[in-house]
Amino acid sequence: MRPINRRIFLKQGAVGLVAIGMPPAFLTRTLLAETRSVGRQKTVVFIFQRGAVDGLNMVVPFEEKAYYRVRRSIAVPQPSRGDGRSAIDLDGFFGLHPSLRSLHDLYRKGELAILHASGSPHPTRSHFDAQDFMESGTPGVKSTRDGWMNRLMTENACSCAGRTLADGAAHSADHASGQVGLAESSPLRGVAMGAEMPRALRGSYPTVAIADLERFGIAGGRSPELESVFERMYRSEEDDLIAGAAGDSFEAIELIRRTDPLQYRPRAGVDYPRGDFGRSLQQIAQLIKADVGLEVAFTDIGGWDTHLAQGGAQGQLANRLTELGIGIRAFHDDLGDRIEDVVVITMSEFGRTAAENGSGGTDHGHGNCMLILGGATAGGRVLGSWPGLEREQLYEGRDLAITTDFRDAFAEVVSGHLGAEKLERVFPGYRVDPSSFVGVLG
Amino acid sequence: MRTVADTSRNWHRGRRTFARAFAVSATLTILSTLAAQVAWAQAPTPNGTLGDTTRALHLLRRATYGVRPQDLAEALDLGPEAWLERQLSPERIDDSALEERLATFPAAEMTVSELYEAYPPPRVVRARLGDPDSVSRDEMRRMRRELGIHSPNRILFDLAGAKLVRAVDSERQLEEVMTDFWFNHFNVFFAKGPDRWLIGDYEREAIRPYVFGEFEDMLIATASHPAMLVYLDNWQSQVPDSLNPRAAQQQRARSRFQNMSAREREVVLRMRGVPEEQIARIEEAMKRQTGRERGLNENYARELLELHTLGVDGGYTQEDVIEVARAFTGWTMQLPSRGDGTARRERGGRNRGEGMGSDGSASAGEFLFRAEWHDPGEKTVLGRSLPAGRGIEDGLDVLRMLAVHPSTARHIVTNLAEAFVADDPPPALVDELAAVFLETRGDLREVTRALFTSEVFNDPANIGGKLKTPFELVASALRVTGAEFGPSRGLAEQLRALDQIPYMSSPPTGYPAESEEWASGAALLQRMNLGLAMATGGIQNVRIPGSLSQQPVDRMLSDLLPGSGTTALRDVIETEIRSNFAGLAGALGELRYGAGPNELALGLALGSPEFQHR
Repeated sequence: MRPINRRIFLKQGAVGLVAIGMPPAFLTRTLLAETRSVGRQKTVVFIFQRGAVDGLNMVVPFEEKAYYRVRRSIAVPQPSRGDGRSAIDLDGFFGLHPSLRSLHDLYRKGELAILHASGSPHPTRSHFDAQDFMESGTPGVKSTRDGWMNRLMTENACSCAGRTLADGAAHSADHASGQVGLAESSPLRGVAMGAEMPRALRGSYPTVAIADLERFGIAGGRSPELESVFERMYRSEEDDLIAGAAGDSFEAIELIRRTDPLQYRPRAGVDYPRGDFGRSLQQIAQLIKADVGLEVAFTDIGGWDTHLAQGGAQGQLANRLTELGIGIRAFHDDLGDRIEDVVVITMSEFGRTAAENGSGGTDHGHGNCMLILGGATAGGRVLGSWPGLEREQLYEGRDLAITTDFRDAFAEVVSGHLGAEKLERVFPGYRVDPSSFVGVLG
Repeated sequence: MRTVADTSRNWHRGRRTFARAFAVSATLTILSTLAAQVAWAQAPTPNGTLGDTTRALHLLRRATYGVRPQDLAEALDLGPEAWLERQLSPERIDDSALEERLATFPAAEMTVSELYEAYPPPRVVRARLGDPDSVSRDEMRRMRRELGIHSPNRILFDLAGAKLVRAVDSERQLEEVMTDFWFNHFNVFFAKGPDRWLIGDYEREAIRPYVFGEFEDMLIATASHPAMLVYLDNWQSQVPDSLNPRAAQQQRARSRFQNMSAREREVVLRMRGVPEEQIARIEEAMKRQTGRERGLNENYARELLELHTLGVDGGYTQEDVIEVARAFTGWTMQLPSRGDGTARRERGGRNRGEGMGSDGSASAGEFLFRAEWHDPGEKTVLGRSLPAGRGIEDGLDVLRMLAVHPSTARHIVTNLAEAFVADDPPPALVDELAAVFLETRGDLREVTRALFTSEVFNDPANIGGKLKTPFELVASALRVTGAEFGPSRGLAEQLRALDQIPYMSSPPTGYPAESEEWASGAALLQRMNLGLAMATGGIQNVRIPGSLSQQPVDRMLSDLLPGSGTTALRDVIETEIRSNFAGLAGALGELRYGAGPNELALGLALGSPEFQHR
């Protein structure tokens, strides 16, 4: 048997396992040790647009007179057929930025939904606080120690709670008999693409950050021998923070070696954009296709803090949106029918001012817009209630107001798509009310 | 070219975190502290008591870029207090040997205009080629060779290299450590617009001179430095035209020009004698600017309050942000050369900074207060009124008010304590240091002294628990191994893979100081890989002297981690190498690293958890 995952042991202990309903993951990992696939698994992919994207230009309310009045140099023109320099009409009121044209036919086919005027109700316009709140899932509460996606996995771990360490064999039998899926025990259940672990996935549940699958491991992933030496060193390290993080990674390396996700190359004709974002999406697709038990995937894309010369239909923001749109489209096409198992959802810490500022850009604002895509999405619609852009309709007289709390949007996706429960513990201090769901998943 | 939103590094990953360590439980802390003390008790203490060794070692690990045996000996010889005093007056420490080493990285020492000469913007090269629409990379490279110039990106290579040299070799270790801290506090980003030519000057002129000086002076120096004006967009923030009669008139003139057809504009520009190659660029700029009304930009004002001074909970409102932004209207700069993605012409064909690339005009790229851009109205900041009708005094008054504000004191010392004491600094320490900050009106020598001599700093609970940042790791590995290194693509690649290229933090928070931010599994794997690569010749232009790795493992470890307990580490390394050297070295051989048993042992030691802490 592999060494016990020290991190779980230290943090929860046998008593904690029962109290939190947390599975002794290492028990089931012994079952995983022989498997070459964990089995088909539903996945939610979160894309964080860090820096606060200008949602009003990403999905343009082209029938709002105020939009054109307050954005004289950066407004995206009203739809006009096929010139590539105006909004793409979605529903007669909203239009996609022309740089997102790669997503348009997904919208028409009902696979892409837009949720406008959404975000965090907290008034902060600090990037750092707002990102923190969106990842902790507790706007206004800075003392929350873990991320909401980590709590999601803790609270929805395998349902054989009540078993204790002493019941090891029986517990394993639960899994072996197929009563409980193996996926909940996969060391790759929660994965962030990137060198650092985002706040949203930090916490007591083991999650893994992967900068690049192709080089994940020691000596480019070529040396299990060296890995085992370092594993010994780090597992006996007293600093629990790094002992835990390193231990989780070594388990992930082992599963990756067995399931070999890199054998899945993008489908013919699918081109991911060059750069970190495209590579991250491609590797998330590889993990999904390799059935490693990936349930929550996270990646981010920066460059949205457009205070200066952001441009309109073309320019700086347009270029960033092109990368975003092409990336998501490539991911969709690459997955083929596996997109049925996947929901992709974008997020950004806040929106930007309704009016352009003195430098052809926009400053920090409030309400924003999310894209939701995937087989389970009830798309082809712009969701949410639209508050309007006239001065008296704006939040604090300057920003798009929020009519959908981001927690409702996330709660709907994870409960509807992943079957997640105990949402009151995922979003403590917030009453998740299914009747306020906007119908992202139909 | 890169622009505002261009980030080679993302707005990164929930930087400010309140989820400090899920880590160290009380029990573990006590256990590890005991273990550490046992270790120190076993270590030789030739010149002092146990307490002295512990304190000296702790101080060195936090106030330098890596402890060599001779550093520990020196600190014990002088005593920790005297060592600190010496370091607090760096001008009295001879550092002349460093100059020769720095000459290997010429761009790091150049003035702004020298940099524009030697590393001109691509458009200057294009102009020499007759300004064609597109120039291939090869042509660009060939032209640069012929002209004896380099790509501006090369500046970063030299800046990062020089920073490593200083970290590794400077005798003024504390000055280097604090320069890094304060640069990071007042972060600017190499890749934003013309900052690549300005950022070296920024560190040299706005940060380094003040690290043991007055906080207010550093605040004013950063506020008025073009690198900051560019980074946080203040350079073009101005009173909205609608509130400014003179600007309104200019705007009308601009509009007339804008309302002409492109053909008409071309004729007018030709009549004015504007060179052909400029006309096309002006036309592009016109397209971008049509209909734009100039005005306020809040970016600098917000970060000034949130990050540089008061802190996010320091008691300011959105209204304060706007009022502060109004106070800083007109704080701008002579435009440096165009083609950098942000600088632009003001009117017609006139471009003040045009000379930067070709004639190196000295005034370009310097701070400029433009009275006609300044909002002359009355302002109220944090409840205090700034009278109408003034100019640059508005901004200066705001800075002076902020520099000694109690919230600023708390925010600054909290950041210091997070970086140098613990991720979650005890409130008592923050209180103590904030009091020093306020009493001395921000005398940073006094604050730094108080930080490193406080009882809380020397509390056993705070010993050894900080994870080195990636830059600290690379610098300390080079320093304690006595590695010879020169300009090295390999080192640059390592810093990139570890996600901490100096001068390349895009968000204004800079790089995080909290251990937790650097503790992902992916990052730890990269650290292990760094250790192996460095020890086995896997990093180009880095060579570790054989004398280190040819020693027995326990001697080698005591050189790397002097004064620390390394018995367990030695056992692991010796056992593994004895039992399975061939298996361990195999993969390294595939990577063409030269690994004998000694090099492998060194690599394992540099990649060990012990070496990641400070």
